[in-house]
Amino acid sequence: MNVFLSGVGLILAAGIGAALIRGARARAGDAVYQILLIVGCITAGAAASRVLAFGAPVSLTIHGAMPGGGWVLGIDSLSAVFLLVILGVGGACAVFGTQDLAGERAQGRRATWFTQLSFATLLAAIALVVAARTIVVFLGAWEVMAISSYVLIVAHHEEENVRRSGLIYLVATHTATLSLFAMFATWDSGAASWSFDALAAASPSLGSGATIAVLLLALVGFGFKAGFVPLHFWLPPAHAAAPSHVSALMSGIVIKTGIYGLLRVLLLLGGAPAWWGWLVLGLGVSSGVLGVLWALAQHDVKRLLAYHSVENIGIILMGIGVGALGVSYRVPAIAMLGFAGALLHSMNHALFKSLLFLGAGAVYRATGTRNMEELGGLARRMPLTWLGFVIGAAAIIGVPPFNGFVSEWLVYQALFSAGQTSEVSRLAILGIPALALISGLALACFAKVAGVVFLGTARTADASDATEVGRGSYLPALALAAACVTLGTMPTLGIGLVTAAARELAGVGDIGLPVSVLSGAWSISLLALSTLALSALLWLARRALGRRWATRREPTWGCAYDAPTPRMQYTSSSFAAPLLSIFGPLSGVRVERTATAMHTHASDVVLDGAALPLWRRVHLAALRLRGMQQGRLHLYLLYVMAALLVLLAYLAFGSRL
Amino acid sequence: MTDSPTGVSFAALLLLLIAAPIIPGIVSRTKAILTGRKGSPFWQLYADLWKLAQRGIVRSTTTTWIFQLAPIVLLATTVAAAALVPLDGRSSTVRFAGDAVAFAGLLGLGRFALSLAALDTGSSFEGMGASREVTFAGLAEPGLFIAFATLGVIAHDFSLSAMLGRPTGYVGVSAAAGPSLVMVALSVFALSLAECSRVPVDDPSTHLELTMIHEIMVLDHSGPDLAMILYAGSLKLGVFSAILMNVLVAASGEGKWTFSGAAAIALVASFVGMGVAIGIVESIIARLRLPKVPLYLAGGSALALFGLILVLR
Repeated sequence: MNVFLSGVGLILAAGIGAALIRGARARAGDAVYQILLIVGCITAGAAASRVLAFGAPVSLTIHGAMPGGGWVLGIDSLSAVFLLVILGVGGACAVFGTQDLAGERAQGRRATWFTQLSFATLLAAIALVVAARTIVVFLGAWEVMAISSYVLIVAHHEEENVRRSGLIYLVATHTATLSLFAMFATWDSGAASWSFDALAAASPSLGSGATIAVLLLALVGFGFKAGFVPLHFWLPPAHAAAPSHVSALMSGIVIKTGIYGLLRVLLLLGGAPAWWGWLVLGLGVSSGVLGVLWALAQHDVKRLLAYHSVENIGIILMGIGVGALGVSYRVPAIAMLGFAGALLHSMNHALFKSLLFLGAGAVYRATGTRNMEELGGLARRMPLTWLGFVIGAAAIIGVPPFNGFVSEWLVYQALFSAGQTSEVSRLAILGIPALALISGLALACFAKVAGVVFLGTARTADASDATEVGRGSYLPALALAAACVTLGTMPTLGIGLVTAAARELAGVGDIGLPVSVLSGAWSISLLALSTLALSALLWLARRALGRRWATRREPTWGCAYDAPTPRMQYTSSSFAAPLLSIFGPLSGVRVERTATAMHTHASDVVLDGAALPLWRRVHLAALRLRGMQQGRLHLYLLYVMAALLVLLAYLAFGSRL
Repeated sequence: MTDSPTGVSFAALLLLLIAAPIIPGIVSRTKAILTGRKGSPFWQLYADLWKLAQRGIVRSTTTTWIFQLAPIVLLATTVAAAALVPLDGRSSTVRFAGDAVAFAGLLGLGRFALSLAALDTGSSFEGMGASREVTFAGLAEPGLFIAFATLGVIAHDFSLSAMLGRPTGYVGVSAAAGPSLVMVALSVFALSLAECSRVPVDDPSTHLELTMIHEIMVLDHSGPDLAMILYAGSLKLGVFSAILMNVLVAASGEGKWTFSGAAAIALVASFVGMGVAIGIVESIIARLRLPKVPLYLAGGSALALFGLILVLR
C-alpha cells in the first residue's frame, strides 16, 4: 500500500515539477514531468499488479484526528483492475499531452504548466477514488477529480464554446456529487462508521425503501459520470472542448469511475434486486443504440468519439445488468459472464478509446481542424498515426482479432446463457439483437470516420500539408494499439485479469468462468493466428502472381469522368445519410437541402430537447422568487422571525399530528 | 459436440473452397433458362478467376496499403468464418462456445476492410457503395443474431457446431422447435440475400453505377485482387447455403448422417439449391428501391424473432 501511495505521490510531484520548472526551461520541465509521472504510474501499477497476482487485497488505515474518522485506503481485485488501466492509459496520455502542449507553447500559449499540473492532479485523484475505502476520502477524491477535470476542459477558455461546455459539465458533475451525498447519507444512517466496511456491514439491515433509494441514487450519481443516455448530455461538448490528451483520459478513464462506483456499490450491497438488473440492462441497450446513432451524425471527430463512449458505456451496462440478473436469479455462470464482460469491456474501451482520441488529437494538432469535412488523405501524410487509428477503429467495432471483440463475446454469451434459464430472466436474450445492431452501426460509423479523415484525397490545404506531429504523438498511440492487438489475439490474458474481480461481484467464491469460455479464448487465439497466417500466405501468393506483370498506377476510375476534384468525394454527411434517415427524428439531425447542396446539423436530442428547456423553465420559475429579495434588513429579520415561529409551531404540535 | 476435429470437417472445408464458385454460375444458368437466353456456362466463375489471376494489377494513384490489404483480409476472414460452420453436417473445423459471434465478427472485419479500400480510392461512386453496404449489413446484423439465438436456444449451446451440426449422440430437435426452424430458415435465406449482395437488396448484374452497392465498391480492384474478392463472395454464398441446408435438415427431423459421402453430397446439393433459389428470385423480382431495403431487412429479422419467441415461450 505504501508503494501505491508513493506512486501517487510521484504523479503529484510530476505536476508540481512541471509547475516549478517552466518558462524558458519548459523543455527540462517536460522531461521531469514525463519521467516522474511514468515512474509514478509504474510504481503504483506494480502495487495493483501484486494484488492481482497474489489475490490478496491490501489496505491501510490512517488513524488520528481525521475528519470523518480514520481514513482507509485499500486495493482489492476490483480496484486493481481499474488501477492498472488508469495508470497505463494515464501514462500514455501524459506523454502525448507533453508533445501536444509543446506544440501549443510554440504557438505562444504560456500556461501549459498549469495544464500539466491539473492533469497530474486529475490522475492522482482518479487513482485515489478507486482506492478509497471511506466516504470522506472517496467524495474528497471524487471532487478533486471533478474540479481538475473542469479546469482541464476550460484550458482554452478564450473560446466561448469551451466556456459553455465547461459550465454544462460543472452542472452535471455537481448534480452527480449531490446525488452521491444523498446516497451515502441514506446508507450510513445505520452504519457504525464512515468506512466502506461499515457500510457493507450495515447493508443487510437497510430497509427495502432505503435500498431502493441507494440503488437509484447510485445510478444517477455514477450514471452522470459514466455518461449513459439520458445523463450523457454533458459528455460530447466537454470531450470535444478539452485538450486532446485530456479528452483521451476523460473518455477512456474518468467515465469508468462511474462504472467503478456502480460496481463498488453492488459489491458493498451484496447484489441488487432483479428490477435493478433489468433497469441497467435497458439503460445499456438504449445508451448503446442511441450513442452509436448520434455518433454517426457528428462532423467533429472528437464529438463523434465522445458519442461512441456513450455507446460503449451502454455495452458495459448491458454486462453489468445481466450480471446483476445472474446474481438475483442465482445463476452464477451468468453473473460471472456478465461481470467479466463488463469489466473487460471497461478495460478494452479505455485502451482503444484513448488510442482513438490520441489519433484525433494528432490530426487536430497537424491540421488545426476537427471537422471531418475538411480532412482526408491523411493516411499518406501521417502513416503511423493512421496505423494506430485504424487498429483502434477495428478494436472498437468488435471484430476479431482485436480486444473489443473479446469482451463483446463475453457479453453475448452472458445474454445467451440468460436465455437458457427457465425463469423470466430468459428474456434477457433479447439483448443479443440489440448488441448486434450496436456493432453493425459502429462498423458503419468507423468506416465513415476512418475513411473520411484518413483516406481518399485531402479536402483542404490544411489536410494536404499535414505532417506527423512527433514521436511523443504517435508512440503512445502505438503502445495502446499494441495492447489492443495483444489482448485481442491472446484473450486469456484479459480474461485472466478480470476473473478475480468478476468472481467477487458474482459472489461465487472459488468457481471461475465456465471451462468452455477459457477453451473458447484459446480457440480465438488459434483462429486469429491462422487467419493471420492465411493472410500472409495470400500476400505471398499474390506477389508471386504479380511477378509476371508490373503493377500499374492510374488515376481512380471515375466512370469515364477524368477531371475529379477532392470535393467530389463522398463526405461524412452523405456517408451517414442512409442510416440516419432510417431512424428519423431519433437521430437528432436536421437536414438542409438546396438545389445543389446538402448540409446536416447534429443536435443532442437530450441536451437541446430536454435538459436546456427544463433549465429555462427552472430559471423562469426562480425569477418569480426574486420579489422576496429586496435588500432591506428588516425584511430579512422578518423572514428569520417567521421561520423561527414555524419551527416552534412544528416542535410544539408536530409530534401530535 | 463431442466430435474432435476430424479429417471429415476439414475435407468439407476443402470441398467448399473448391466447389463454391459454381454457385454464381448456377444462378446465372437458372436465370438464363428461365428467361430463355443462352447464358454462360455454370463454370464461368472458375474461368473468370483463372483469367484474373493471370492479369496484372492496376491500382489507383490515391490508394494506400489498406487498398492492397483489403482483398486479402476479405478472403482470409471469409475462409476463417467458413471454418466455424459445420459444413459436413456434424461439427466445424474450429468450434468453441459463442463462435457464432466470431463468425459475424470475421465477416464484419472483411466488410470493414473492403469499405475502407473503397474510401481509399477517393471516388464518390465507391464511397456511395461503401455507405450503402455498411448500412444494409448493419441492419441485417440483428436479424442474423436473432436467428443464431433461436438456433442456440433450441440446441442449448451458442456454438454453430451445436446449432447446425448433428454430432455423435445427436437426438434430434423436439417437434415443438419445428415451426421455429422453418421461420429461421426463411429469415436466414432473406438475410443471406442481403449479406451476399443479391436481389432484392443489390443487383450484381446491373450496369448503372448509381444503382450498384457491392459491385461499385470494388470498381478499382483488378487482376488477382478482384479474383480474391469474387472468390470470397462465392465462398460466402457457399457458407450461407450450408447454414440453410443444415437448418432445413434439422427442421425435417433427420438424424445424423452415417457416412461422409452423404455429407459431401448434401453440401454440393445445398450449393445447387441455393443457386437455383437465388436464380428464381432474381428472375421474378426486381431490386427494391433503396428506401424499401430496411423494411425488407426488418421483415426478415421479424420472422426470426417470431421463431425466437416460439422457443422462448
